[in-house]
Amino acid sequence: MEFRTEVVDLASNIAENCMGHEEAFCVAACPMHTDVKKYVAQIGGGNYQGAMETIREKLFLPNTLGRICAHPCEVDCRRNTEFGQAISVAGLKRFVAEKADNKELWDVKVKASTGKKVAVIGAGPAGAQAAIDLRKEGHAVVIYDKLKVVGGMMRVGIPEYRLPREVIDFEYSYLEDLGVSFQMGVEVGKDISFDELRVIYDAIILAHGAHKGNLPPVQGKEAKGVFHAVEFLKEISFTHKFVRGGKRIAIVGGGDVAMDCARSSWRIGCDEVFLISLEDRNNLPASQAEIEESLEEDVKFNNGWGTDEIVKNEHGAVSSIRLKKVASVFNEEGRFAPTFTDETKEIEVDTVIFATGQQVEDITGGLLEQQGGGRYDVNPDTLATKLSDVFVAGDASGGVIVVEAMALGRKAAKSVDRYLQNRDLNKARHIKKELSYKTRLDVPLPKGTVNLPRTSGNHREARERKRDFLPYDLGYTEEQAKKEASRCIQCECKLCMTECIMLNDFTECPQDLFSEFIDKGEIDPVIPYSCNMCGGCTHVCPNDYQIGEAFMGMRKDFILHNDGKSPMEGHKAIEIHQMLGFSKVFCTKVKGVK
Amino acid sequence: MTQKMGFMPGCSLPSYTPEGVKKTMEYLKMVYPDLGGVQKCCGKGTKALGQEDKFKERFAGLQKDIDDVGIEMMVVACQNCYKTIKETSDHTNVESLWTLLPRIGLPEEVKGKGSVSDVVFAIHDSCSTRYEKEIQDGIRWILSELGYRVEESEFSREKARCCGFGGMIVPANPDLAMRVMKRRGNDFDSDYVVVYCAACRSSLMKAGKKAFHILDLLWGPVIYNEEPAPEDVLSSPAKSWINRYKSKHAVRKVVKA
Repeated sequence: MEFRTEVVDLASNIAENCMGHEEAFCVAACPMHTDVKKYVAQIGGGNYQGAMETIREKLFLPNTLGRICAHPCEVDCRRNTEFGQAISVAGLKRFVAEKADNKELWDVKVKASTGKKVAVIGAGPAGAQAAIDLRKEGHAVVIYDKLKVVGGMMRVGIPEYRLPREVIDFEYSYLEDLGVSFQMGVEVGKDISFDELRVIYDAIILAHGAHKGNLPPVQGKEAKGVFHAVEFLKEISFTHKFVRGGKRIAIVGGGDVAMDCARSSWRIGCDEVFLISLEDRNNLPASQAEIEESLEEDVKFNNGWGTDEIVKNEHGAVSSIRLKKVASVFNEEGRFAPTFTDETKEIEVDTVIFATGQQVEDITGGLLEQQGGGRYDVNPDTLATKLSDVFVAGDASGGVIVVEAMALGRKAAKSVDRYLQNRDLNKARHIKKELSYKTRLDVPLPKGTVNLPRTSGNHREARERKRDFLPYDLGYTEEQAKKEASRCIQCECKLCMTECIMLNDFTECPQDLFSEFIDKGEIDPVIPYSCNMCGGCTHVCPNDYQIGEAFMGMRKDFILHNDGKSPMEGHKAIEIHQMLGFSKVFCTKVKGVK
Repeated sequence: MTQKMGFMPGCSLPSYTPEGVKKTMEYLKMVYPDLGGVQKCCGKGTKALGQEDKFKERFAGLQKDIDDVGIEMMVVACQNCYKTIKETSDHTNVESLWTLLPRIGLPEEVKGKGSVSDVVFAIHDSCSTRYEKEIQDGIRWILSELGYRVEESEFSREKARCCGFGGMIVPANPDLAMRVMKRRGNDFDSDYVVVYCAACRSSLMKAGKKAFHILDLLWGPVIYNEEPAPEDVLSSPAKSWINRYKSKHAVRKVVKA
């Protein structure tokens, strides 16, 4: 039967805009859309294996991410936006990974072989994720990396005290379990040409990261003792030493890489560590935790200073760094264009490390154009390039953090899979949901929500930890993890579902119920005739949806199509009841007189 | 010029308590000696089924009765009658008995009568008037004037939950209706609940509560703990219709007195 337009319109509006299935802030913010809300609840309930299975639905390196993820989920966490005290999502992930992860939980199913071969350049998080996804689709995948070890920047950029190498190796063993092949220590462009790869493989994903460190145009940068963060951290990763450096070191930069350099400097035996940033303390790009931990380790911050000149001694080696006071970092249009005052100061150092960004090296021999930072020109929706068989992921396509690199790896893999099947790269694809997005969820805080402080972790004493590469953060105890998980608000709407018994009999949320009505063009009359029109749903709905009105509209249509009668058998009694209620036997009217 | 007043008991109230109808009208008649009266259904049931045309026809019948006896301001004791007349009639004004009584006051002899009671009543607000604060305030004023002690529940006033009777779900989905009734009953700590809709009273009785219509408290004896609530008359169609018939005569008798 046909429903009137106003009924369909009312139902469509609810179907489209009801927040019943709108993701929680954390889940939407995570580029991989890990079901944070679910696994945090599972940890809170002591279901560690369940939590692990939830995490592994999306992430192959939970322990790694638990330690080093920049956790956009925590930025958007309601406890952060309301109280400035996010749930320690990463900390909880690490806890449960250490507690419950084991190979038996790993899903190593792959589809039947497609006969297609894909080369992934780079064994970092983007390449690894792309390899996993493509292998699962049944394609043969070979990862090439010029390093002999897996992990990419996680291995040679992120210091070992933050991420123990055995964690990377264990979690990467999943790729071998899936049957991904590795060509390690093979540099594309030197050991094998990009053109050769294109002949051998049906598709290629470039995920070789940004490993090229360019020094900024500073006077004296050619002095002995000036290095880029990339080579500094890489050598330390392999040897726990940096033999070309001295004891008094200046790190130039204000981001997490600068903090990594500064904190690593203590660990290789430096006596004095200075950090020099253009930004003032409150505007450092580094994460708050990294800043605090660096300060605990006695890194001497010089915020709001730029490098004027690296001063050399008679041997051409660094003797000091002269700084000039920053007047402003950005111009009126908000672009990076630092200006300085006349004030200067000089710090005696023998080593200077520039942690001022790194670039993507071109390994295509100029076949692909590169933009700022060396990032390849790509279609941001599909990561396709002008070469139909070549796709890009991770830093090479513009990612910034590990979990984002993974999401870009997944995106590239999805495109490659479609390309290999000759399917359209864009069609029926939820592009928005392939990376971090803002949820539409807009609900009041649950009644009784109070500000509970974040459970602090167990960091080793700064004095002790700054002299070795052992993990500085010991992770949560079980008791701490449960306490922390219990702070989660479990953000969702479904307020009507907590209010209405009837809706729960028929649906998970109004969005489902009305979508089904719209899709099928029909509804079992028992549904609209079970609503008692009390308005309780509308009262609690943040959007004030007139759910009862929608059901009322349906009722009217049922009556119109049923000779003016209700389709419900039981309503015959009401008909009689109403008839009597209007009959002369029970009715009267009397005019009042004084 | 004052408006010509009338009283309309509705459906469930006259089916429940002809005595309550009679006493209410007698009191109103004292205040408004030319009080008129109409007993008829407002058509809410028809409307709730979705029978738009039939509802229009039936409401027109009620409107004609109101107009025939010259009532300009109809006083009602049922929240659905209140809403239906307010939303449907283009010229008859409507006022709830629960907002009128605070304005005209209660008879001297009932004031403070409940102060000797040891009962603490919970209040069940009608969901159909969840946003009519004045009606809700009126109920609390009446209880306070009577001297009864009350406790507010979490789900009161605009957060009121359905008693389970509304929207014609009892005949359509009786199992669901029963669960809704039980849930509503569980909203109250006290066993004793005061309501201002006779249908709600019947639902709460089914939920195992000792439910009293506010007119029971106003005109009836003082209620003490351990006393039973009046019988759930509305569960018996025969008794209900007999009462409705009695109420009809009460309306005629009081107006003509």
